[in-house]
Amino acid sequence: MAALILGLMFFGVPDSHAQALTNELGVPAKRVLMIFNESKDVPGNILLEQALRAEMQQVLTNRIEFSSEYLDASHFSDVEHFRLFQDYLGKKYAGQKLDLIIVFPSRDYRLAGELPDALFPGVPVVFVAVNEMEVPEAIRKHGVTGIVQRFDIRGTLGLIMRLQPDTRRVVVIGGKSDVDRATLGRIAEASQALEGIEFDFWTNRPVAELPDAVKSLPEGTVVLLSTVINDVNGQTFYMSQLAQTLAPVASVPVYVLGGWVLGSGVVGGSVVDSEDLGTRAGQLALRVLNGAKPEDLPIEVATKGTPMVDWRALQRWGIKESRVPAGGVIRYRPQTLWDQHKNLILVSSSVLLAQAITIAGLLAQRRKRRWAEAEILAQRMELAHVARVSTMGQLSSALTHELNQPLGAILRNAEAAEILLQTDQPNLDEVRAILADIRRDDRRAGDVIDRMRTLFKRRSLVSNRLALRNLVEETVALARSDAEARQVKMSVQISPLSPMVWGDRVQLQQVLLNLILNGMDAMDATPRSRRSLVVQVRETKDGYLQVAVSDCGTGIAPDDAAHIFEPFFTTKPNGMGMGLAISRTIIEAHGGDIRAERNTPEGTTFTFTLPRMKPEKAKAGLPKTH
Amino acid sequence: MTATLPCRSETVFIVDDDTSFLQSVSRLLRAVGYTVQAFASASEFLARLAPGMSGCVVTDLQMPGMNGLELQAALRRSANPLPVIFLTGQGDIPATVNAMRSGAEDFLTKRAPKEELLAAVERAFQRDAQERQQREQLQSLRQRFDELSQRELEVLSHVVQGRMNKQIAADLNINERTVKLHRTNITRKLAVQSVAELTRLVDEAGLFPAPGDNPAT
Repeated sequence: MAALILGLMFFGVPDSHAQALTNELGVPAKRVLMIFNESKDVPGNILLEQALRAEMQQVLTNRIEFSSEYLDASHFSDVEHFRLFQDYLGKKYAGQKLDLIIVFPSRDYRLAGELPDALFPGVPVVFVAVNEMEVPEAIRKHGVTGIVQRFDIRGTLGLIMRLQPDTRRVVVIGGKSDVDRATLGRIAEASQALEGIEFDFWTNRPVAELPDAVKSLPEGTVVLLSTVINDVNGQTFYMSQLAQTLAPVASVPVYVLGGWVLGSGVVGGSVVDSEDLGTRAGQLALRVLNGAKPEDLPIEVATKGTPMVDWRALQRWGIKESRVPAGGVIRYRPQTLWDQHKNLILVSSSVLLAQAITIAGLLAQRRKRRWAEAEILAQRMELAHVARVSTMGQLSSALTHELNQPLGAILRNAEAAEILLQTDQPNLDEVRAILADIRRDDRRAGDVIDRMRTLFKRRSLVSNRLALRNLVEETVALARSDAEARQVKMSVQISPLSPMVWGDRVQLQQVLLNLILNGMDAMDATPRSRRSLVVQVRETKDGYLQVAVSDCGTGIAPDDAAHIFEPFFTTKPNGMGMGLAISRTIIEAHGGDIRAERNTPEGTTFTFTLPRMKPEKAKAGLPKTH
Repeated sequence: MTATLPCRSETVFIVDDDTSFLQSVSRLLRAVGYTVQAFASASEFLARLAPGMSGCVVTDLQMPGMNGLELQAALRRSANPLPVIFLTGQGDIPATVNAMRSGAEDFLTKRAPKEELLAAVERAFQRDAQERQQREQLQSLRQRFDELSQRELEVLSHVVQGRMNKQIAADLNINERTVKLHRTNITRKLAVQSVAELTRLVDEAGLFPAPGDNPAT
């Protein structure tokens, strides 16, 4: 704010100059101290820190000063070193005003709890860690918040089986330290879900012997790299070091748990995406920097990874790209296939030509099936349209009201103007004001019609990047006058900053509108003072956005609960029984799900989820901030 | 064409949460010559309501917070029950609203022709004036009865039922001469000549509702 005012005072000065002045004039930049458990060169941390800084600086340009300190615990693990580090920080930053401390504690939560508490009491702390440890209870007492990202072991094993369904044996390479054992324990646990697959845990071989050992693994085997903080000889290896040593020489594909390891020859995994994690941590840090109390923000424990593979490794092992699950990230794909495989393409195309005749026959069959599929889709669209029109029918009396309001005002204003103009000395200023108001009310009426028209249109599926906030607010506006007429208090709560999704605006609006109208129907018998409907947008830990519509109505009878999403099931005297069935079709087509739950003491909450777009893709939609 | 009306003390009180509509109706009624006061909510209007205010209320039916019907009920309970004209944005007025039409108030849609609105305001003004006069008469009548003592009122209630002095004395367990004294005082204080006139006054003031007159008794 202060910067803004100063900026305005110097509005004649070019931008950069004004900013420099602002700082010289003593408007303090935010001071952020970052404390790392490891040394400076840990690849995972580098990406993480970059993404975190980028996220914070994008919002608060030029107004954050970062300092970084590294404990380097992998090389200096004795108690004395930790004490020296603490003394050093205490002396170095004595008298400095810090606004935030960001800790990368790895596995040592003292860095996020006791240490800042002793040195910098009152300075908020945010931490971000990738580990398998329980978050110690004590840390919550210090008023600290943060994100713990777990390795997605289950997801990685799932990806292995998807990419290589013939896998019979998984060799897991791990270490001997407590942390290593915790990770191995989780891998062992997850392995039980895969029947008939043999798991070998290599923890007793020094890392130096491994390259030879992986050279001659038989077909049907894959290698999964766990953590090796200490091997049998007590030596420490970063995941990327291990991968660089083993992946190029291994006779079988190597999988990993950390995204930063990609590029070293490994295939990939359902990995920890450092950039995504850094972005999320940056958002959390910004919230704290903007005044949120860390103790009010729960510590997030994220378990889901991002499927990520190296395109070159796929080629090396002959794994089809089509096996990569939807939403998976493929890295290192060359720009054009033509450049790389000119000869291959020429040979293949002549083969293709020979096959063309056979294919033509097959195509004819295929087209028939396509037509049938298209027809089904068209029918579904038609049904969605019918449902939408009937939903609008329910709304129409409320919309009439909303239209009559501006139309009535236009009429009254016109009548008033007529009378004014009949007087001897008409007050022309008043008439001008009237005309301006008429114009404004005309626009208001037009807006109502526009909102209705998009919903009435008959159309096919269109996928776009959508700001969920606008979508929710527009839909609620559509239902607003109906809610007023039925004396329902409606409120909206949206917690993520700018939730973005991919989808069809009209269809998603239709689902939300349907849920809102259902909720109001359910409250017809509720006393007026208690009729309230809440639309909430939240973000779930696994990267989904959740839209919940809660009412205080009669609730769903337990017998009905299993059937409400089935077609032609209805509890309303005039209901078609298609609303929720269509809603489910739409939400599932968007990659989400929909469910209903009873509220205590009364009412129902309908919740649907949609995959959240990744922040880097959504950035264009972020509001600009000074 | 509408002639400009001479300035009068009645006021049209307009209540509507839609500021745009509120302003347009105010403009129209002012242009026609009425004194207008505009309010964005029912509670705002009720907070300013005073006994001396005469005229009528024009209100939206649907409003957040207190709606038009609730405003009407609150007015009826108040010391100044001004007539209410409802305006509604609804195209088809719901059946419940139609039923209300049997009452004294007018229901108009927001897009009703101006003539209907102005006629409704005129009717409401007349009704307000009439009811106001009746209320004043009733009040002055009741003031006359207020001069009677508790015992005299008791005696009066027996007299208007046509009972003899002797019966009244027995009922109230007092002397027959005392009853006569009370009757003299009553006729003097109310300045009436006959029992017939006394009965009429009591009726007009609605003092002792006979069983059947009022279902609540």
